[in-house]
Amino acid sequence: MIPIAKPRTRRLTIVAQDPSVEVNGKILTTQVDVPAEEIAPGPRGYRVQVIDYDTSSGVLYQPIHYPSLQRGSYVDPFARYVADKDNSDWILTEPRFHQQNVYAIVMKTLARFEFALGRRVSWGFRGHQIHIAPHAFADANAFYSKEDQALVFGYFRVGKGKIVFSCLSHDVVAHETTHAILDGLRNRYTDPSSPEQAGFHEGFADVVALLSVFSLKDVVGNLLQKDFTQTKTSSEPSLIPADLLEPEKLKASVLLGLAEQMGAEMTGIRGARADALRRSVNLEPYKPGQVDEIEEFQEPHRRGEILVAAMLNAFLHVWRARIEKIKRGKCDGKLDLELVVEQGADAANQLLTMAIRALDYTPPTDLQFSDYLSALITADKELVPDDSKYHYREILLESFKKYGVEPASINSPDGSWEGCDAKLTYDRSHFESMMRDPDEVFRFIWENREALKLHDQAYTKVISVRPCLRVGPDGFALRETVAEYIQMMTIQARELQFFDPPIGKPEGLNGNREVTIYGGGALIYDEYGRLKYHINNRVENVARQTPRLKYLWRCGYFDVATGTRTAFARLHLNRTLNLRTRSSEVF
Amino acid sequence: MPHPAKLEPAKATIRAYQVGFGDCFLLTFTYPEDENKVAQERHVLIDFGSTGMPDGVTSADQMMKVANDIKQRCNDKLQIVVATHRHKDHISGFATRKDGSGTGDVIANLKPDIVIQPWTENPALEDSQLTGDSAKPVPGQGLQLNVQYVSSLHSMNSLASTIATEIKHLSSQKFMPALSRELKDQIDFLSEDNSLPNRSAVANLAGMGSKAHYVNFGYELDVSQILPGVTIHVLGPPDLDQHAKIRSQKSKDKDEFWMLQGAASDFWKLQAASGELTESLTGTSNRLFPDADVFQDFLPSHNRWFVRQLRSLRSEQLLGLVRILDRAMNNTSVILLFEFGDKKLLFPGDAQIENWEFALNDPKTAELLKDVCVYKVGHHGSRNATPKSLWGQFSLKKDEEEKKNGQKRMTTLNSTLKGKHGHTENNTEVPRTTLVQELKNLSDYRTTEEAAEANKLYIDVDIT
Repeated sequence: MIPIAKPRTRRLTIVAQDPSVEVNGKILTTQVDVPAEEIAPGPRGYRVQVIDYDTSSGVLYQPIHYPSLQRGSYVDPFARYVADKDNSDWILTEPRFHQQNVYAIVMKTLARFEFALGRRVSWGFRGHQIHIAPHAFADANAFYSKEDQALVFGYFRVGKGKIVFSCLSHDVVAHETTHAILDGLRNRYTDPSSPEQAGFHEGFADVVALLSVFSLKDVVGNLLQKDFTQTKTSSEPSLIPADLLEPEKLKASVLLGLAEQMGAEMTGIRGARADALRRSVNLEPYKPGQVDEIEEFQEPHRRGEILVAAMLNAFLHVWRARIEKIKRGKCDGKLDLELVVEQGADAANQLLTMAIRALDYTPPTDLQFSDYLSALITADKELVPDDSKYHYREILLESFKKYGVEPASINSPDGSWEGCDAKLTYDRSHFESMMRDPDEVFRFIWENREALKLHDQAYTKVISVRPCLRVGPDGFALRETVAEYIQMMTIQARELQFFDPPIGKPEGLNGNREVTIYGGGALIYDEYGRLKYHINNRVENVARQTPRLKYLWRCGYFDVATGTRTAFARLHLNRTLNLRTRSSEVF
Repeated sequence: MPHPAKLEPAKATIRAYQVGFGDCFLLTFTYPEDENKVAQERHVLIDFGSTGMPDGVTSADQMMKVANDIKQRCNDKLQIVVATHRHKDHISGFATRKDGSGTGDVIANLKPDIVIQPWTENPALEDSQLTGDSAKPVPGQGLQLNVQYVSSLHSMNSLASTIATEIKHLSSQKFMPALSRELKDQIDFLSEDNSLPNRSAVANLAGMGSKAHYVNFGYELDVSQILPGVTIHVLGPPDLDQHAKIRSQKSKDKDEFWMLQGAASDFWKLQAASGELTESLTGTSNRLFPDADVFQDFLPSHNRWFVRQLRSLRSEQLLGLVRILDRAMNNTSVILLFEFGDKKLLFPGDAQIENWEFALNDPKTAELLKDVCVYKVGHHGSRNATPKSLWGQFSLKKDEEEKKNGQKRMTTLNSTLKGKHGHTENNTEVPRTTLVQELKNLSDYRTTEEAAEANKLYIDVDIT
């Protein structure tokens, strides 16, 4: 018997957006490709483990079982349900479908990151499988918990009415998964630092969730179609009037339409988030530094809206540019809807890839949006030197600038990071080993600590070394090794003044109180093991440390020890309930 | 007795009852003797509640003793009753019984002239009742949002009541160890203090006075007839418009406060609905998915670690929720400043900074607070109910040396019970050690613990 190659992916049915989005009276579902594997009951796979325990009722639901590979292909157990059933009520009453839904969206999101980064991506905790509880509790809440190595999704009832399952919302699942993945890539970004760093986690998770929606063409087509009616035979392509594709119209139909749909189902859990999307899309321009002076932008979610606004507006511009190209030569004022949707999917796809790749080029601590912008530009420039087709980088720079975000790299003409020109010694480093061994990279750093301008009294640790292979749109591969190190110093607050120049101690903070300051850098090696970029924040950087400590003091960080376990849940709650800690007021 | 308007109290006495973890103060104003050499007294009862007694003290007995002492002390007539907020440790003593033998019945029979409660207790702000004199619209966003806020408070009560069901599941030892005793006790305590069964006390308070005042910052209370020579300044709680003013000063988006207010209201509604949902999910037929198969007799071993984590996670979440709603309820506290002669007595209930901030931002009030001579310590001496910006206002804080040199020093009065609430390890113990030390250093610190130690019903603090 001739062995048949096992498939690399398998298709699984999910709810396309959330159960409020219906077409012809049925909940809109779609099939997505996820990495293929022999799934154990759960689903329980090599990266994800669904355990359907409900703490509010103390019940563990039986897991879904998947048949093994049959004749070279895997079965999607719910494809038949979609085809055979007259209605879609089963979606709300079948917990095993919920188990599959979360498994598929988490795996799809993870695969998306791995594709963009060209390597395996670890979770932000020790362990290979993230636990997922699709019906964790009766509560309008869903979040990532590092300590529990988990994504937990609540369910809730709106008034006396129907029960809403957050595990069935594509947006919610993708958003929370992104938190978990981002934590694996940059685990110091959950450290209390600044409203911008916390806002980045939220904003980035939103950007990934939203741009991911555009890969689901049914959803986008559905949103665009809502604004016009047409009569056609089934063989004719759907045509959309070109005037509905003007930037403002697109913004209203697609982005605001998306916000409306998310708000409709996820009141309470993502209601505020839908509102945030609405506000992001319509966010007014700001000058550099202006948002620092506005109280409400000190709140992480609100701050994150700036990132969302910049990225989504850039997306709209790119999409528009692509639509303009397919409009050429068309005189009847109508465009093929499928083509328009495809252009949106491609634009979103490219931007999402850029957004993810940029993470490798960000400093590992105290991230600011300006750092991320330089990272975006650099990451893309490395892989796609010629940006003349759709001008992604130009559009991104413009879009961020509109919201007061300029690239952190001020010396390069295009905002990308400057290459590393330090006089480094490679004599005692072993090239092969440096591509994967943290100790070898540490040795390199240590040997070059002066050239790399490290603080020699700070505790220094290499936290990751990741070789990666990325493929550009032209088919060329880029090999790089990305390593990151952190530096930290724990000192008494009164000792901050001994830095040169002195770091400011927050007014009211006890001088004997211990504070920890962080620094660190991302090291990007080329395929010959030479350092291309050293993207770093120095531990004694006064311009960053003084406002950081002031912000932490104001937020009560030095006041009460807070665990990481429910950090994201707490953030959502603080936002919803407008809670603030004022350590200066308590005994 | 001379014309009330010309009368001024010669002295005041605060009787602080030993109600364990709770508050109960009888403030008595004594007027000068008349021509018949009869001294007149007028009485204000501020709170009457408890959620825990010292070892060896039976709650029901002690509360009845307190009620009877109040009756005796005020000679069957109270002028004013103040219920600062609806937490059990402040109002449980107002609960009545059908046969009329409750402690609340004793108090109701003292026929108070007026009852003062926060604006959030105004029955006219209930969802279904939007009419009546006391439902006067407030400026700005107005009545509707105040109604919404009150509805949120009710949702919080409702949630607190249903949390017990969930704790039962989390405490089940069927497949694994239950959640820790300490965590369970904390959640139980807070959810009980915030849950609905204060209903008879609430109803009693709503009905007992000849006149009800539902007050907010700046509310004008005319007590010249019943407490001659005494002015009562209402310093809190702010209503929503007043809250909004504070927040809007720093916010660019003027609608931000109201938007968040709406979001918070939706949040609590959902929480209450989820609580009800949890209560309904008992028994096989009422399961979330009645037709789904569940593990009945065992948990697969590879699931156990995570199930344990999840249960503990949920417990922490519940604790977080009850803490937040506890704080919200504390911040509905009425803050009263009694002024007579050159004396000022401050009773802030359990108000925290969110309640205080409107008053503290008002320059006139800040001036008024300077020479407070008696401060009832907020929230039984917890760390966050004596905001430092308030404490900083008091000018009569004096150390021992200054007191010895004849300088006038303020009195602080705390009704509390050690070991009932919070932990030293995370700085949440009540009363907070550092606060008590500060109070001892800079004021004449009195506490109901003195009564408990001496096995007495109360301590008296004279203000002359």
